Amino acid sequence: MLEGLVSQESLSLNSMDMSVLERLKWVQQQQQQVVSQSSNNSPELLHQILQFHGSNNDELLQGSFSQFQMIRSGFGPNYNMGYGPQHEAMDGCISRTSSCQMEPVDTMEGLLKNGTEEDRPISLKNKRKQEVKTREEEKTEKKIKVEADTESSMKGKSNMRNREASSETSKETLKGVSEIPKLDYIHVRARRGQATDRHSLAERARREKISKKMKYLQDIVPGCNKVTGKAGMLDEIINYVQCLQRQVEFLSMKLAVLNPELELAVEDVSVKQAYFTNVVGSSKHSIMVDVPLFPLDQQGSLDLSAINPNQTTSIEAPSASWESQSQSLYNTSSLGFQY
Amino acid sequence: MMSTYNMVKQEFIKKWITTLHMLDCSVEHPLNVTERKNAIKLSSDIAMAAARSGSTVWSRALISRSGNKTANKPVARRILKKARNRLKNRCLTLRRNGNFTAKSGVRKRTELLKSLVPGGELIKNKDYLIRETLDYIVYLRAQVDVMRTVAAVDSVTGNLTNDNK
Repeated sequence: MLEGLVSQESLSLNSMDMSVLERLKWVQQQQQQVVSQSSNNSPELLHQILQFHGSNNDELLQGSFSQFQMIRSGFGPNYNMGYGPQHEAMDGCISRTSSCQMEPVDTMEGLLKNGTEEDRPISLKNKRKQEVKTREEEKTEKKIKVEADTESSMKGKSNMRNREASSETSKETLKGVSEIPKLDYIHVRARRGQATDRHSLAERARREKISKKMKYLQDIVPGCNKVTGKAGMLDEIINYVQCLQRQVEFLSMKLAVLNPELELAVEDVSVKQAYFTNVVGSSKHSIMVDVPLFPLDQQGSLDLSAINPNQTTSIEAPSASWESQSQSLYNTSSLGFQY
Repeated sequence: MMSTYNMVKQEFIKKWITTLHMLDCSVEHPLNVTERKNAIKLSSDIAMAAARSGSTVWSRALISRSGNKTANKPVARRILKKARNRLKNRCLTLRRNGNFTAKSGVRKRTELLKSLVPGGELIKNKDYLIRETLDYIVYLRAQVDVMRTVAAVDSVTGNLTNDNK
């Protein structure tokens, strides 16, 4: 099973970015732990994991706009019924796989602690519900929900503490489960001790949606990875949008200067289109156009990794967390720079 | 992946050239630099929104905003037949200028973001706002990339023609 996972991973290495690679390795480690800790470990679980990986690789290769639709379509079913891993965002894979740790009962707390240690480096990026459903749950209809992190703290550490705290209580309920039940999907509902009424569940689902969106924004906006907290990320996003808008202003002024007749050198359109199509992966042009189109950052998981890292030569300095390659652009922009 | 972004850019540049041409025909020459800059920016904004031409709030709001700026509304309408929208008036009247009564940092920033993204003030749902922002950023990015390319090409060709003289 693990070999299968490795081969799948290597297949998709080229197209995947580092964060997902990290996640896969993490999942691999988790699986190794799971395998080592429970003799009963179900091949079905690992098989599911492989399936999830397969589906997620496909998702990663799709267009960004289809991903937006995926976000839209995938939320509802997830939280209510937990069907359809194909619809879930790529993070869902990790949530499912990490939830396997809940299965072996003997050292549940230990498992969670292992999970937390692995989680911390990735915790900033991963905001998901971990859902585990057990037979016990079905009987007693108690709901245990372990969230990878709540929206209140995207830092991650306090989340882990929450998880561990809840794990102690949930340990009792899982005592009766001696074997890993055969499940299609693994779900955990509300955390024990938390409100389980509809409103808070819906509220939690809504917050999860928002945090997932924030994660995608993190992928697009450069430099968001280092920032935690909604306010900080919103700051970055606002900064980025403002900067892009300023760039548009600046570039339009520059074009106005360069083109006394308000024509865009129409005959060059075909040339420019050729640029756009040929530029995939290449970072140099015959002309000193600086349009390198390599991945935005190593962790960009959206296919908008084609967007080059933000280089701005606009009047105000960009924030320090952005990469800047403004060499050739400086050369070309010296014309219209003062206005 | 990459092709989607390229397609976005190609779409944008096609529309931009059309829009600019139409704007050019409808305005009298000579124009000074500022007017040219405004025309370029306006045409590129319209083109960006038209390239999106989907169900996004920001594209419709941007079109309506640009439509009111142009002296010739037929220009905008001709290009974007679908862009008749009910948001038009509301969008313009709702512009805020930094007078926030926000209670927390997140709320304050959300308000600021709403003011940046065209049509953002009309979006109540924060979840939807972020989705709109994502989309808007993609297209804004495409706009910037295309303009930068065009500017670089123009500067080079400009240098060449100067040398020939």
